[in-house]
Amino acid sequence: MTGDRGGAGDAAVRVRDLRKGYVVHEKEPGFLGSLRSFVSRKSRVVEAVRGVSFDLAPGEVVGFLGPNGAGKTTTLKMLSGLLHPSGGEVRVAGFEPGRRENAFLRQITLVMGQKQQLIWDLPALDSFLVNQAIYEIPDAQFRATMAEFTEVLGLEGILKKQVRKLSLGERMKCELAAALLHRPKVLFLDEPTIGLDVNMQESVRAFVQDYNVRHNATVMLTSHYMADVTALARRILVIDRGEVVFDGDLARLAEQGGGGKTVRLQLRRPATPEELGRFGSEVRVDGLSAELTVPRALVSERAAALLAELDVADLTVEDPSIESVMASLFGARAGQAGQPERTPEPA
Amino acid sequence: MRALAFKARVLFATRFAEMAEYRAEVVIWMLSGTLSLVMMLVWMAQAAAAPGGQIRGYSAPEFATYFLSTWLVSQLLVVWVSHELDFQIRQGTLSPQLLRPVDPMWLHVASHVAERLVRIVPLLVMVGLFTWLSGASFTREWWAYPAALGLAALGFSVRFLYEYAIGLLAFWTESSASFQEVVWLVYAALGGMFAPLAFYPEWVQRVAVWTPFPYMLGLPAQLLAGKATLAQAGRGALVLLVWLAVFWVVRLIVWRVGLRKYGAVGA
Repeated sequence: MTGDRGGAGDAAVRVRDLRKGYVVHEKEPGFLGSLRSFVSRKSRVVEAVRGVSFDLAPGEVVGFLGPNGAGKTTTLKMLSGLLHPSGGEVRVAGFEPGRRENAFLRQITLVMGQKQQLIWDLPALDSFLVNQAIYEIPDAQFRATMAEFTEVLGLEGILKKQVRKLSLGERMKCELAAALLHRPKVLFLDEPTIGLDVNMQESVRAFVQDYNVRHNATVMLTSHYMADVTALARRILVIDRGEVVFDGDLARLAEQGGGGKTVRLQLRRPATPEELGRFGSEVRVDGLSAELTVPRALVSERAAALLAELDVADLTVEDPSIESVMASLFGARAGQAGQPERTPEPA
Repeated sequence: MRALAFKARVLFATRFAEMAEYRAEVVIWMLSGTLSLVMMLVWMAQAAAAPGGQIRGYSAPEFATYFLSTWLVSQLLVVWVSHELDFQIRQGTLSPQLLRPVDPMWLHVASHVAERLVRIVPLLVMVGLFTWLSGASFTREWWAYPAALGLAALGFSVRFLYEYAIGLLAFWTESSASFQEVVWLVYAALGGMFAPLAFYPEWVQRVAVWTPFPYMLGLPAQLLAGKATLAQAGRGALVLLVWLAVFWVVRLIVWRVGLRKYGAVGA
């Protein structure tokens, strides 16, 4: 039976008031704690996802950010049908994920970590052939996709090596290829570059970008590497303590996160932090280099003042790094009273 | 239909290649499952010391034939799926399998069938060796062999399904391994691995006939030993077919309900 596409509209992913609660068992440490737990086990419900709502358009790439335990992975697992929601509504490619219909599973993929689909003791090519059979991929499409992936991911020379003998980066490339061999229309990528070196991260990013463009695929990506997010996503969803706290583009996130721009100075004569403090906040001085944060609305005025009043060799104005924006955003929320706790990873 | 045949062929070929990587371990594993052979030595010694050289109609060579047959059939019934499911559910490695449009059960079926093919040659060599050493002598009735093989195939299917359902209990419990061990004990006892079923108290025999175990293990062994008839094999096959249907439904229900409990932790 195909999914009920009514209400899904044109969205590739439609989420309304999505909720997920876990029962967590608690035990005091030590022998006595074990005895008490044996006689009467304490448990409580933790709300990992608390009424999340959003839509993703076909072909859209969205960065899904949040601190550890915020509910990112739980949300992705519900969107891919691995977890059943406690409440709310989800439609992915027009299907209800929890039903795990074959037609739905042929349209999505979820990549988590580097030991997922590949058969450990056999060459990666064997795993690809298994996926070809399972997904019923016609020979011509299989050959074309393999050629495309081999070129973009640089799989030449590693397809016939035993998986257990591949390097971490090589294995991740093969995992990605295995996960996308059936050309899914919706990709959920959970930390796809974690543990990889810089070159390999770049290679994975380029592959995802290329796949998105070639196949107009919708991509939802979580990553602790902000370079992944800034390179791939135009839209950012931020989740914290199970709630979406931001939905918009990177520039707006920067504004919401602090509202300031970073001014970098190269000075000809040293200046003290007190001198620079008149022009902005968060002043850092390192010899003749200095950095300070200036409110967006006052950037022109303060830059002109800096050039006029100090002996400046060079001045640049930049958006703050996304890391600092996120730190300030979550720092501000952590300070608010009555916030629910974050759930333990990897729930 | 062609797609289904292609899937089955690729899955089997891949799993066979995987199992062939572990051929040495498969042989060692076979040697570890020698309870029947130990019991063979015990009962042969008892029969040799008994008045008339027999216990309840079994001479030492007949005990050798029975227990060697039990060992041979038990090797065809080996199932490890509950351990795998227990691990996969607790560690979350079931998740990647749930993302593919195929019931993960068929991947396990392919692994077990492929392993049986890797096992068959060293198994026959070992049976030949133990036959020569113990003085066992198998039946010369040709029909007993396909009948025993058919019962073993049905028995494997029944055992696979109930072990699968046991493994799925990990959706609810910390570990399902303890359930598996209890059920194995009943399987070994009522299957006749410790002694022929006729040696047990009558009330045990009356209970045992309502279970699948005597028909999946003891009956094919008795066929090979020349101590069972074709009619008994036919009745045994019918009983196993009923249990197959029961466990098919049980597995399906436990799977569907269990998936709603799945936490997908760890992966």
